[in-house]
Amino acid sequence: MRLNDCDPGFKQEIARQPGGEGIKTCFACAACTARCPVGSLKPEYDPRRLIRLALLGRRQEVLSSPLIWLCCSCQNCSEVCPQDVRCAEVLTAIKNLAAKAGHAPPSGSAMARQLASHGRLLEVGEFENDKRAELGLPPVSEEPGDYQALLGLQPEAPRPAGEEA
Amino acid sequence: MGGCLEEIIFLSALDTPVLIIGGGVAGLAAALELDRRGLPSLLVEKGPRLGGQARGFCCKALEACARCGACRVGDLLQQAAQRPALGALTQALAVNAQRQGAGWEVTLIPQESRQPDTPALALERPLRERLLARTGAVILAVGHQVFEARKKSRLGYGRVPGVMTAGELEEALAKGGLPGQARRLAFIQCVGSRDQALGRLYCSRVCCGFALRLARLARHLEPASQVTFFHMDVQDYGQAWRADLSEMRADLRFIRAIPGEVRPGVGGPLAVFAGPDGQPQEEEFDLVVLATGLEPPVAAPALCEMFGLAPGPHGFLAGGGGVLVAGTAGGPRSITESIEHAAQAAAQAAEYLLAAPASPAGEVAHA
Repeated sequence: MRLNDCDPGFKQEIARQPGGEGIKTCFACAACTARCPVGSLKPEYDPRRLIRLALLGRRQEVLSSPLIWLCCSCQNCSEVCPQDVRCAEVLTAIKNLAAKAGHAPPSGSAMARQLASHGRLLEVGEFENDKRAELGLPPVSEEPGDYQALLGLQPEAPRPAGEEA
Repeated sequence: MGGCLEEIIFLSALDTPVLIIGGGVAGLAAALELDRRGLPSLLVEKGPRLGGQARGFCCKALEACARCGACRVGDLLQQAAQRPALGALTQALAVNAQRQGAGWEVTLIPQESRQPDTPALALERPLRERLLARTGAVILAVGHQVFEARKKSRLGYGRVPGVMTAGELEEALAKGGLPGQARRLAFIQCVGSRDQALGRLYCSRVCCGFALRLARLARHLEPASQVTFFHMDVQDYGQAWRADLSEMRADLRFIRAIPGEVRPGVGGPLAVFAGPDGQPQEEEFDLVVLATGLEPPVAAPALCEMFGLAPGPHGFLAGGGGVLVAGTAGGPRSITESIEHAAQAAAQAAEYLLAAPASPAGEVAHA
């Protein structure tokens, strides 16, 4: 590893992200790795190694790694961490940076597009709204435009005629 | 001082240039250093015997000295016994302190205590009545407490059979050997140290050396045993240690990871840790030894209030205004470091007395 390939500002950048604040206190004790359910299924996945690479400033290697997207946010790591690193949240911060840098996996971008265009990832219909009414909750809007306004997104360009059929 | 201690038992007050609170390694070393400088002092110890926590430590030597410092306690006691000017009040607890000029008036009260089997040294006298000690300077040498391993419940202490602290293993080894049929040993470092979640964001500095010396001694007593050493990084104790360490690296299994959990296994405690390949793995041991860290002394908040001191780093003591701190009361230190630190505190106390001629001890210091 060459020092010239490392970016000392990378950890600061992560620490400035919401959830990323704890990264700098890591002592690399690997209690997170010991308790990680992903690690026991996917041998290459090692949260300590990812945090260590980030602390060393291996920006490109971390942001472009497909492994960062495997964290399932089960919080086992945060629970065992003696240093309150909140590993799962640090990985979310890293994922956000990776997405900004254009490294989001296709499935992630597809979900974001769906959220923008439909306002939700799962179908909400009459059934859900009947249940909500029983519980005294207001109905969930089925209009994507409402969510676009909420998220400050531009409505999608109208589709060409004929495609709707 | 030793001669007049006989009489002060019947007195209600006495003057002393320096009052040393705590009769462990640091307190003894401070008293001896002051004695070397021709300054009398009064050493007070709340327990029935001098020597402190280090008195229970065993020698870790194999063929050669392991430089653990355990024998220094005996040396200090022996030296103190040979100094007729030295005196110590045992079973004496400091409960109040009043500023008097540049010095202090400290109230000592007697402490009930079960008498130990070890005979009292000639210089030890139990305090019988409340006593007011007028002193020019105070040295706080009240030591530390050891982290309560139960607080780190994930590592199984008090819950999983076969999990013990390094201190308990030391006791077992001092009695002659490994407990039971223990052959597979694991040491877990940094238990209660470098742990922000527990509010202990500091390295206890002594546990690496302590645990590795114990591990080597265990291997020596039981050559068939295997030792795994779970750590973050190993403290550096200087050049001689580095040579020992490379030997230990060949002899013991070093794993750079702290287990996330210890739970009961089939034949002993089961540790869950990150293996060398970065994958979670489980392994059973006969004995899991937790290297518990050093904590500030229990008396720290009370002493801060008594002497008007600001809390020191991480809750340990920091001196000021004619109050000096010696040994582990001021932060984690080894036996040898505590002795050096205490000598330094004694020198500073002497300097303070010289700069403050109005103190009751001023005349003595200037004489």
